[in-house]
Amino acid sequence: MNNTIAAGHAFLAVMRRDLHVFLSYRTRIVSQVLTSVFSITLFYYVSKLVHVEGFGSPQTYFGFVVVGIALVSIMYSCFSIPELVRQELVAGTFDRLLLSPFGAIRSVIAMTLFPLLYSFVLAALTLGMACALYGLKLHWSTVPLSIPAMGLALLAFLPFGLLFAALTVSIKQGAIGTTWVIALISIVGGLYFPISLLPHWVQTAAKMQPFTPATEVLRHLLVNSPQTTSIQAALIRLVVFAAVLLPLSIFALSSAIRLGQRRGTIIEY
Amino acid sequence: MTSRSLEAVATPALTDSVEYSAEPVARQPDPVPAEGAYPLAIRAASKRWRKDLPLVLDELNLILEPGTTTWVGGRNGVGKTTMLRVAAGLIDPDSGRAEVWGVTARENRARYQQLVSFLPAGDRGLYARLTVRRQLKFWARIAMVAPALLEATVERSIDTFDLRELADRRVDRMSMGQRQRLRIAMTFLTDPEVVLLDEPLTSLDEEGAVLLQAAVAEVLAREGAVLWCSPSGEHLEMEFDARWTIERGRLVAA
Repeated sequence: MNNTIAAGHAFLAVMRRDLHVFLSYRTRIVSQVLTSVFSITLFYYVSKLVHVEGFGSPQTYFGFVVVGIALVSIMYSCFSIPELVRQELVAGTFDRLLLSPFGAIRSVIAMTLFPLLYSFVLAALTLGMACALYGLKLHWSTVPLSIPAMGLALLAFLPFGLLFAALTVSIKQGAIGTTWVIALISIVGGLYFPISLLPHWVQTAAKMQPFTPATEVLRHLLVNSPQTTSIQAALIRLVVFAAVLLPLSIFALSSAIRLGQRRGTIIEY
Repeated sequence: MTSRSLEAVATPALTDSVEYSAEPVARQPDPVPAEGAYPLAIRAASKRWRKDLPLVLDELNLILEPGTTTWVGGRNGVGKTTMLRVAAGLIDPDSGRAEVWGVTARENRARYQQLVSFLPAGDRGLYARLTVRRQLKFWARIAMVAPALLEATVERSIDTFDLRELADRRVDRMSMGQRQRLRIAMTFLTDPEVVLLDEPLTSLDEEGAVLLQAAVAEVLAREGAVLWCSPSGEHLEMEFDARWTIERGRLVAA
């Protein structure tokens, strides 16, 4: 029991550490909020300019794309984990985490807490600013349901970050492939436009990852977008992705660390 | 000399920089009985970084008895840091094992890491944007110190290593010597039983060295053990219970 409490404190300590480091860069939050403002402004005018087939009004497309923008920030936070691991390797703090009773695996999982929570806040701010600045209408009766749905989506997204973290431990590079993976998911996940516009085979590929069902569910709950599949089916797909990929990604990370210890490459950076 | 020793000695990488004779490596510590449990025992540990390189550690044995300090020296690249990393549980030997009170890191990693603390060489292992106090609190929590003892543990460490004036200063605004003092404070933070020090005097002033010696004395007083590695022992005023150097992957009495 004492160990469980101490482990809980250790998880929170990692989150608190990341918060302190984040706050020590005073302009970071300002620049990120401004990025969101510019993005929603850009798409607000794009939505007015272009008449998109399948959307009743410019405002409908604007609501569609704002949810996509909010999800992109969450996706970025998932894919920031390998870069965080890379920073720990370079700073020599990864060795210390590995040699602590808390251990490297739990430390890496704990490292995901602050970026995910922060991206969650940033997503909420993006939606709030879209409401305040450009009159986005949220579907308030189902907005509270988006919070547990977002939690489930995070569990389904997290394995991607952990898998790339395992790769970083092995090959010592942080950003390898993450940029193009994010770009690819932005397209096949339907973050900026409906996947029905894509070629048929790409639509099939879009069903192979959790970002598409997560986007659909959250759009439905936040701005009442019509569902192409049932919400239950989308949620079940998210549960399956999380249940299968989470243990797999933790196993991959653990194996990468063990292999690094056996080969001695864990000390390299 | 055994055939394995001959193979290791004959490799070009070693012969370039080491003068050796045909004398056998005779002063290797005696092999340790399997049933013995010590604060730290490295048993027949071998490590080779690449197939085309000689063994860095060649069935190396080392025992730390309770309440003792051991110094291991040797030229740069001879394997001191590798030995410490194996002892700390950071890397695995190709063969052999490192035990703390008879237990290896693979058998009970959490317990092993609670008992052993490692100060790596250099100035890494710190979060540049955290203050001294936040750094110590963070590592105490990661060491899973009971929440009720956390504040006292951190404040005692600040006092022990004379960090009170620096407690609220960020690491990236501290001198190298001050950072080294913090790294040493982190090493001794949770009262480990086995302390592994790799060139601990780097950047340290005289006052810092005295504080380090006092911390070592505390470990010995609670029947712990300290393994201290540095290229040369000439600047040390400490009394060591054993002095070794590493030659051709094995320990030789210094």
